[in-house]
Amino acid sequence: MKESVAAWLSGSQAQETAVFLLGNVPGLPPIAQSLHILGIAVVMSSTVMIHLRILGLAAPSQQISEMIGRLMPWTWWALLVNAITGLLFVVGRPNRYFFNPVFGWKFMCLVPAVAIALVIYRMNRREPGYWEHTAARVHSARAMAVVSLLLWIGVVLAGRWIAYTDYLYFLYE
Amino acid sequence: MNEDTSVPFPEFWNWVQALPISEHIGFTWWFPLLESLHVLGVGLVVGSILMVDLRLLGKTALSIPASRMTRDMIRWTWGAFVLAVITGTGLFMTRASAYIENPAFQIKLLLLVLAGANMAWFQFRTLRGVEQWDTATRPPQAARIAGAASLLLWIGVIFAGRWVGHII
Repeated sequence: MKESVAAWLSGSQAQETAVFLLGNVPGLPPIAQSLHILGIAVVMSSTVMIHLRILGLAAPSQQISEMIGRLMPWTWWALLVNAITGLLFVVGRPNRYFFNPVFGWKFMCLVPAVAIALVIYRMNRREPGYWEHTAARVHSARAMAVVSLLLWIGVVLAGRWIAYTDYLYFLYE
Repeated sequence: MNEDTSVPFPEFWNWVQALPISEHIGFTWWFPLLESLHVLGVGLVVGSILMVDLRLLGKTALSIPASRMTRDMIRWTWGAFVLAVITGTGLFMTRASAYIENPAFQIKLLLLVLAGANMAWFQFRTLRGVEQWDTATRPPQAARIAGAASLLLWIGVIFAGRWVGHII
């Protein structure tokens, strides 16, 4: 599957465009990367603060339901920025990413992390205060918060390690 | 090694990067480990500060008093800042004399100092009279300026920080 996506992108018009933009727009690579980090800052702080609140570790005076409604739209917008700025590089050099195991790990963390965020957001939207109404929901929210915190940390760490697979020699043995 | 005399203490930076710990970080998986933890720290520092800035600008979280927002965030901001400083220092030590004369790195340090000064001014002057405007959806001009300055300075820190690696 990833082989065919990489092959389809290689030599495509999209790849040529991305390579042209990255090579010819002055400063585009660091600008796109900086926006990507800014997006990470918004995603991390919005989701992490909600999770820490759910776990009772931060912002005790703020309401969980209000925080979810207020902060998570920022998460979605920032994820969109990250998707666009990230795709620029993936489309430009598909083989560098699709055949990189660390890139795969990043998405193995990212997909469930976004799924958990969506569940938390949607249920709270359907019924404000959803995650506080019964003991069972409080417990499942806490479990999701712990898993999600670890997943987001994994996304960030793996994201940075994509450029350093050389150090992970055990991958090539 | 370092011919540029415009940077003070060239021997000192050469000494720093020749330390065994600096070479260990620079030549092993410690470098990417510290760098990825640095991104994590920076993300939380800047993200948590943006929340406060947007409240001070009267853009978000208007139902929450400004002083409560700053109090809720400050512990996490400082904790993440300590992580970013420790990991950032480790990264810096690996090529201290090159980083110290890297214009992007110099700009980043300058922006950090300005952001710190802005924060201190806000903390010790503007926040003194917070009772007057704590629940105001449009905080006074001094608070709005502090929020806008902080927003721009921290975004600048991220851009300059990312640019460091493109110059070196």
